[in-house]
Amino acid sequence: MSPQTTPWIGAAAARVDGPVKVTGTAIYTGDVALPELAHAVLVQSTIAKGRITDMDIAAAETAPGVLAVCTSDGSLGIGRVASYYSADNGPMGDGRTPLSDAVIHHHGQHIAMVVAQTLEEAVAGAERIRTRYRHQSPLVRIEDAIPQTPPGREDIVRGDLTTGLAVADVTVEAYYETPPQHMNPMEPCTTTAHWVGDRLTVYDSTQYVSGVRDALASAFGVPPANVRVLSGFVGGGFGSKGTVWPHVLLAAAAARLVDRPVRLALTRPQMFTSCGTRPATRQRIVLGAHRDGRLTAIGHDGTSATSPGENVVESTGGLTSILYACPNVTIRQRIVRLDMQAPTFQRAPGRAPGSFALESALDELAHELRMDPVELRLRNHADADPSSGRPWSGKHLRECYRVGAERFGWDPADRTPGTRREGDVLIGTGMASATHEMDPGPAAAYAELRVDGTAVIGVASHDIGTGTYTVLGQIAADVLGLPPERIIVRLGDTDLPEAPPSIGSQTVAYVGPAIRRACEAVRDDLLAAAVADPESPLYRREIGAIEFGPRTYVAELARIGEPSVSAVGHHHPDANSRYAVHSFGAHFAEVAVDALTGTVRVRRMVGAFDVGRVINPRTARSQLLGGMTFGLAQALMEATVIDPRRGHVVEPHLAGYHLPVNADIGTLDVLFVGEPDPHISDLGARGAGEIGVVGAAAAIANAVFHATGVRVRTLPITPDRVVAGSAVGG
Amino acid sequence: MEFLRPATWEEALAVKAQHPSAVPIAGGTDVMVDLNFDRHRPDALLDLNRIHELHTWQIADDDTVRLGASVPYSKIIDALPDRLPGLALGARTVGSPQIRNRGSVGGNLGGASPAGDAHPPLLASGATVEAASVRGTRLIPIDDFYLGVKRNALEPDELIRAIHIPSATGPQQFAKVGTRNAMVIAVCSFAVALHPRARDVRTGIGSAAPTPRRASEAEAFIRAELDDTGLWTSAGELPLSTAKRFGELVARAAAPIDDVRGSAAYRRHALAVMARRTLLWTWNDHRATGRAAA
Repeated sequence: MSPQTTPWIGAAAARVDGPVKVTGTAIYTGDVALPELAHAVLVQSTIAKGRITDMDIAAAETAPGVLAVCTSDGSLGIGRVASYYSADNGPMGDGRTPLSDAVIHHHGQHIAMVVAQTLEEAVAGAERIRTRYRHQSPLVRIEDAIPQTPPGREDIVRGDLTTGLAVADVTVEAYYETPPQHMNPMEPCTTTAHWVGDRLTVYDSTQYVSGVRDALASAFGVPPANVRVLSGFVGGGFGSKGTVWPHVLLAAAAARLVDRPVRLALTRPQMFTSCGTRPATRQRIVLGAHRDGRLTAIGHDGTSATSPGENVVESTGGLTSILYACPNVTIRQRIVRLDMQAPTFQRAPGRAPGSFALESALDELAHELRMDPVELRLRNHADADPSSGRPWSGKHLRECYRVGAERFGWDPADRTPGTRREGDVLIGTGMASATHEMDPGPAAAYAELRVDGTAVIGVASHDIGTGTYTVLGQIAADVLGLPPERIIVRLGDTDLPEAPPSIGSQTVAYVGPAIRRACEAVRDDLLAAAVADPESPLYRREIGAIEFGPRTYVAELARIGEPSVSAVGHHHPDANSRYAVHSFGAHFAEVAVDALTGTVRVRRMVGAFDVGRVINPRTARSQLLGGMTFGLAQALMEATVIDPRRGHVVEPHLAGYHLPVNADIGTLDVLFVGEPDPHISDLGARGAGEIGVVGAAAAIANAVFHATGVRVRTLPITPDRVVAGSAVGG
Repeated sequence: MEFLRPATWEEALAVKAQHPSAVPIAGGTDVMVDLNFDRHRPDALLDLNRIHELHTWQIADDDTVRLGASVPYSKIIDALPDRLPGLALGARTVGSPQIRNRGSVGGNLGGASPAGDAHPPLLASGATVEAASVRGTRLIPIDDFYLGVKRNALEPDELIRAIHIPSATGPQQFAKVGTRNAMVIAVCSFAVALHPRARDVRTGIGSAAPTPRRASEAEAFIRAELDDTGLWTSAGELPLSTAKRFGELVARAAAPIDDVRGSAAYRRHALAVMARRTLLWTWNDHRATGRAAA
């Protein structure tokens, strides 16, 4: 059996959604036009801890165009929701439902909602609300709180750390700090909700339509089948749209209350208090090694911030247990409870801050040993998963180091800090390892062949700017023998077969095989029926010898008089695989540091990644470039500043919360190494969405050390921190 | 909120006299941000966009540029880099291309934020602000213009019509430290202008005091140094120690605070570095031009 087309998997196809996006015609949640659409605006707490003692809404209720004003009195009747992320605590992260009581748990908590005919009228109405509080001093500094062991979480202990340190020739111990970060996708979180009787349709900017459906069904006491969630285009998520936040429920409650469709769009400042954060971390790493570089001990203690009621752990030690072969490892995770909104998973959760600490510490050890940091990592290469003993499903990390170093022009002999100078500018290079674990999720998908020679594939997955529409079309094209332009890809709709959330870099890896199964099923069903049908020209042909493609499908469907045939396919990844499934990579960075002002510029980076089969080198490369840029932002810019006394975000906007601009990004180079992963699925693709972040900040921090001799262990690496650590100075 | 749209300059002055609390808006790059973040809620906005003359500039007989208050930064960069090199350099660091197409020096002066990128070059150039009201026109020396954080010397009925900036007679420089390469609010900034005919050196400090300000002691020091050593005449090399001392005095002239963008100590440090560097750059430029002319 052979297709009538050449293979599309592996082709650098352009994004199929590109034209509608660049022409502004793609319909995002905030663009959905519905008759009688009303607008909801949220009022947020201006204190971080305490109670609302009085709220005057009279002026708001009589403001022009205002349809409803909802206060924190629980009258919206939103039922409890078990958020899929934290099964116990729901979208408020503390077991409460939105607008249910007068207790304030964080600055920016939603305390009222105004619904009006127009957005402007809703904003004007909201401004007329006057709130009085009984204020308590919030706890917002990680240093002021007492670390606790997260419920149900045990320390990871392998061997004996004390013994490992005792036999070490060299030990390194260091303390690292990372700040809170906010995701800030281009499209702020937006929900448009519409009830017809007890049936609810919700357009939501989400990474998980099925999760939103289930949450809404339970919050409003209707069967999940009565709720349809649509999310055709999502303007980035990075985790902020991965779970169900209070505003989603409030939009649906508002639509029910005013009996009209309602849109609720978070403002940019509200994005800093309404849809999670990567929490601040404090990490201590201790390493022991023999003189030859072999690790004898790794201790990684991580403390991360969470909210009063939520047990979110930023698993900074997650990668520490698997990245290097080391007999004695202890990983402890602690949380501190701060009067802040619940954190959530931000792109490369745990691994982004964790890799900064671990891979900086490895660099510190390499410096102590006077050893090439690449060589140090090669000497500690884990040939099997050290935490479980399982073989890797596929691992070409050695090749990542080799190929990346070669492309970068890495000089193992040039490792003395502060030796390369161009005028006042110090030049340095650094590197780090990367890894990302795959968390298998079952997926189903739909495929339909139509008599006009086109096909439709569909799955309740998402294109959050990653290229899902394009890549799934390529996968289907090869199975069906149709060119991608004949394949309509449907995503972001709970009427389609269920898929996992678009988090954890899992969409292509686990949804892709489900698409394959669906396409195989519909193709083979049609062909099997044909060879069994005496009326068919394919009667009694060997299925395996049939050349399939549009001509075959059109002829066969026309002959049997069917407009289309369809099938559903499933992919159930083995949750108890005998393989450990991870992507791997290596980052190399060159920085130029102004020796006097301390400003750091990243001149170039090379990332070499083993992500299994690359379905589309163009979209995959973009994912990795985006990840590396994310890591650069983490290294040099991103930090949410919280006022230590009042607990508010000091600069909740993109003028103050710095992300890189084009002028900050030098030459970024992405290399793919390795081969299709034979054990993850027959597609052979692993995740590529997050691994670009992991280790990137450490590579830059290590390059700053190499340039200046200054080890900055607190992110971001701002000019004042470089100068403060520098002996050079004015 | 009232939205007032005068068609002529005279009408604008009359409207401002009637509505002294009206906030003038031209490019809107500062005013709209304040409105968006609800930092400011004026009862009236006075839209100056219909007044064409504010977008024009003229060169006077004495080579002074009379720059209309609404001339956008992108125009200054494109059309006036030779006459106003310091201001053009500062303008290049303002926001994004979109912001530079809308934002103007008049707006920077009206807002009077200590972080405004136009202020240090205006101080270093010795600019004059042309303020007008129905009562008449007055010329406010830039040194007297900034009164406090986001406060300036305009009377409630006055509007900025133009800024008079002497064309450069020597090299000018502008430097700024930020945590990214564009769209960055200055951690601190510094401008220096050499005025060889007057044998003068003028400076401007940004983002390191409640107002933009000059480093007077540093100016006096370098003036005296250049005079005493005959360097204006000899066009000789400026000793590094002199530049260093100049930098220290600039840092001493600042009154910075600790904030989210940087510590006071870092600001002083960075100012000293920028002042030393920009002085050496301008002096070396001056020597090179002098030799070329000779």
